[in-house]
Amino acid sequence: MTDETFIEINDLHFSRGARKIFDGVSMRIPKGRITAIMGPSGTGKTTLLRIIGGQVKPDAGEVIVDGQDVCRMSRDELFEMRKHIGMLFQSSALFTDLSVYENVAFPLRVHTRLPEDTIRDLVLMKLNAVGLRGARDLQPSELSGGMARRVALARAIALDPGLLMYDEPFTGQDPIAMGVLVTLIKNLNVALQTTALVVSHDIHETTSIADKLYVIADGQVIAEGSPEALRSDNSARVMQFMHGSPDGPVPFHYPADDLLYDVLGESAA
Amino acid sequence: MTRLLRNLGVLALERLASLGRASIIWAQSVWGLPRAGDLSLLIRQIYNIGVLSLIIIVLSGFSIGAVIALQFYTQLSRFGAEDAVGLGLALVLLRELGPVVTALLFAGRAGSAVTAEISLMKSTEQLSSMEMMGVDPLHRIVAPRLWAGLICMPILATIFNVVAIYGGMVVAVEWLGSDAGSFWSGMQDAVELWEDVGKGMIKSVIFALVVTWIAVFQGYDSEPTAEGIGLATTRTVVLSSVVVLALDFLLTLGMYGDFK
Repeated sequence: MTDETFIEINDLHFSRGARKIFDGVSMRIPKGRITAIMGPSGTGKTTLLRIIGGQVKPDAGEVIVDGQDVCRMSRDELFEMRKHIGMLFQSSALFTDLSVYENVAFPLRVHTRLPEDTIRDLVLMKLNAVGLRGARDLQPSELSGGMARRVALARAIALDPGLLMYDEPFTGQDPIAMGVLVTLIKNLNVALQTTALVVSHDIHETTSIADKLYVIADGQVIAEGSPEALRSDNSARVMQFMHGSPDGPVPFHYPADDLLYDVLGESAA
Repeated sequence: MTRLLRNLGVLALERLASLGRASIIWAQSVWGLPRAGDLSLLIRQIYNIGVLSLIIIVLSGFSIGAVIALQFYTQLSRFGAEDAVGLGLALVLLRELGPVVTALLFAGRAGSAVTAEISLMKSTEQLSSMEMMGVDPLHRIVAPRLWAGLICMPILATIFNVVAIYGGMVVAVEWLGSDAGSFWSGMQDAVELWEDVGKGMIKSVIFALVVTWIAVFQGYDSEPTAEGIGLATTRTVVLSSVVVLALDFLLTLGMYGDFK
């Protein structure tokens, strides 16, 4: 493995209405490694993946993926770039009118002119890699949440992408499915030498496979480094997140008037 | 007063932005066809949009033709002019009711289905995942539906007209005893290929363009929530119906010249 940078984000700014999502975020995602982006819900982790994939345009800043600035790409260039990116969506996003087999075959059919025999072999290999070769004839509606996510993973790796992005891959999974996904993400990274970007707030699972972590909160990167370095980070915000404390710099209560005043009104004064 | 003006301004800008987005989506989608491999997608949509609409078109066509013939016969027979039922029926259907009612039925059956399907694909991130796979959903999902609508609606309108005339014939000739020869010859004498059939078809093509455009845009631009899907589907039917009726008035004014 090298320390070559695959994704470089410089001074990224993005707002949604009056709310600032990113306020000067900069990151370096190393090639061929697993990098995790963590942070509390609503901090824009999924938005960051969409910005990297060119689905959302930032207000300012640079997003360079494999040497190309995503923000300056034309629509056609973006679609060309995305052929080399695999993304696992939180909802799996399988095509509901296609079987498991056809879902995995979809990118191969659209982007290649391979003969049907070769497509069949590739689909079965990808499905075998996620342990679902036997489920090839099922419809997405017949799959459990964990199985659907594994099929989506097989589809994401169908074209052997250089970058795999995982959007909350562990959310809503039972412990067995979660363990399977953790192993799969790690094994795929080793086997395919793919750069992996995992967005998650599941600390235990993510730190067990990530080579590098970024923690974002309040629109900024508040910490970065190896999992060990972040576990021993003394800053209050990082400690609260890494140890899952309910109260701290990120308050438990949504901003509101004093409880007594709220309940009793003027008489409390 | 200032607030009212500001709100009106905001509303006007939102509508304008929406029209701009709809135009971009339409242009990018139409640009996408024809391509190798798209034929199977188009045929599938022709089946979904056109073939599955056949039953409602045939049933409605028969009923409407029968009702018009009944009303014409009742009124015209008072003046001894029941022989004119055939020509009246044909002109009303070919010029107005055929294209308009087909467009309204199409909006309710196929338009709403297209909107619901696309907005559900959006809410379940299927469109996003397609984009991230390097596949443009405007070409893959929207374009085949637009083209299928454009192909199917004039054909459906033709079928509607044929069935409605048959329905009218059943009532006027078979049931009420009007003379079959007069029914058909009156129709043959009065109907002109371009003035009646051609212009009716042009109306149908324009309605097809508008209804499918509204349907795909409402689906593509919907809020990705359960409520958003419901609202988008309702908007497709309501907006399509209003626009079709308003356009029909303008087209009739433009096509059939000086009414004064």
